[in-house]
Amino acid sequence: MHIQGTLIEDTYAEAFTGHFARVVITADSARWALEAAAAMTGFATSIIGCQVEAALERELSPAETPDRRPGASALLMTLPRGDLERRLIERIGQAVLTCPTTACFDGLPDAADRLSVGRAIRHFGDGYQSSKIVGGRRFWRIPVMEGEFLVEDTFGRVTGIGGGNFLILAEDGAAGLAAAERAVRQMFPAEGVILPFPGGICRAGSKVGARRSSAMIASTNERYCPTLRAMVPTALPEGVSAVFEIVANGLDPERLRAALRRGVIAACGPGVLAISAGNYGGALGRHRLPLREIAVQPS
Amino acid sequence: MSGSRVLRRVGDGGIGADVSAITPERLAGLDEDGIRDIPILVGGRTAPLGRAFALEGGSGPDVSFVGDLARVDGIGAELTGGTVRADGPVGDRAGASMRGGRLIVEGDVGHDLGIGMSGGALMVTGDAGDRAGGAGPGASRGMTGGEILVRGSCGAEAGARARRGVICIAGQAGARTGHEILAGTVVVLGSAGPEAGRRNRRGSLVVLGRVEPPVAYRWACTYRPPHVRLLLAYLRRRYRLEIDDRHLDGRYRRYAGDLGALGRGEILVWDGS
Repeated sequence: MHIQGTLIEDTYAEAFTGHFARVVITADSARWALEAAAAMTGFATSIIGCQVEAALERELSPAETPDRRPGASALLMTLPRGDLERRLIERIGQAVLTCPTTACFDGLPDAADRLSVGRAIRHFGDGYQSSKIVGGRRFWRIPVMEGEFLVEDTFGRVTGIGGGNFLILAEDGAAGLAAAERAVRQMFPAEGVILPFPGGICRAGSKVGARRSSAMIASTNERYCPTLRAMVPTALPEGVSAVFEIVANGLDPERLRAALRRGVIAACGPGVLAISAGNYGGALGRHRLPLREIAVQPS
Repeated sequence: MSGSRVLRRVGDGGIGADVSAITPERLAGLDEDGIRDIPILVGGRTAPLGRAFALEGGSGPDVSFVGDLARVDGIGAELTGGTVRADGPVGDRAGASMRGGRLIVEGDVGHDLGIGMSGGALMVTGDAGDRAGGAGPGASRGMTGGEILVRGSCGAEAGARARRGVICIAGQAGARTGHEILAGTVVVLGSAGPEAGRRNRRGSLVVLGRVEPPVAYRWACTYRPPHVRLLLAYLRRRYRLEIDDRHLDGRYRRYAGDLGALGRGEILVWDGS
């Protein structure tokens, strides 16, 4: 199967179940909402080293936010459920509470499983905090030097899919990066989907475990490293000199697959010899996202 | 099932009646004879409902009161779910001890609207008497949850000793609004009468018009309180209230008090800027 001359390999992306929260940040201006979202989702590219994967989901207009201010929504994902609450407390407490003019709301209010996030952050108020219930939802007012920080008492948790991915196998780095950028432009923003790597692109895809250390849970995926082509059993077709990976996490399979489809199709073209996917033989997760099926599914 | 059950006041409307027991939950499963036999108070004496109200069609889960209701007390009292409507004016204690559902009164209501209320939504298109959302005689607490919207004005002591919940008064609020309020929020889109927030412990009074904070309050700052913005945006969306963006965006003078009580309450007054 080819799209615009690019081979779509007959393989699948291996993904896993993750625990998700959606954080809605509002501020007096879009600039500050996005600043807070960027800080809160910083250093959150991969579970491997960051314990959480997080990214901006999309910018929100005032009409879409609870307090009618400009806003931003972000998704955070962890593997153990218990981690999600801790990461939310840390990140909202350090990155949103501290950011000028912001307020912070749960973006999954209908989720049955609730995480005590604002309930923990409120202790920053050192006893001067107070709560208000608006529309059946409890919020904490935490006095800060600027005025008050408003944060929702609990945040919803749902399960979704992490690790949706595809690999862009290009004849050189420039062509590969251009293709990856095209893919990201088609995949972001999308409701319910995030691309946690820098600019949505990962140049250092990993394999599960490591050859030389049992302590490492991941290490470089040498089969896709062009510099190692002559030294290892390579997965690279002839002519490939650079590989970029697009990783996407989604609240549900449908939206994740739709985003991957847009990305795969956009990435195909001159200079891109093949599209492949991170497939670990079942070692990573139970979800399989077949590339060819995704590429032809109706949008 | 179709339409709400309609109960029309019949007989001498000058004689008081109390329909506190008449809720959708109470009527569920009863046939028309069973409904007519429900005991209520008429003229201070126990009498069957059918003596004061005629049942006019409808078999749905909701209840509508129509006719001369000016001396009918307790409409929607102890409501737990569903919707009760009334063509006002209605008497006292409408929505008293409500725990859920919706009570909608088209017109004015008497005193003690929603006293002891703990949940649900209570909407009045006209004016309300004294103690809306407040505490009944001898009660230590007023409303402990739910929402009251009065599109007109309120009498004295709205939100007195309220423990939780929101009271929104679109018109003017009478004297001693939020008297001894424990927590909860009273929003006055107009002005509030004298002695608002006396003995306030942790409650919030938000006033878009004029109010004179009692002497036991101290100005703290002038700022944009995020919870007020959230609350006003919610009220505007939920009840289609006419609240201007300048009130959402505006600054509020925060007076902390009552310093003679716990002192953790506040009066927030729109600064007009």
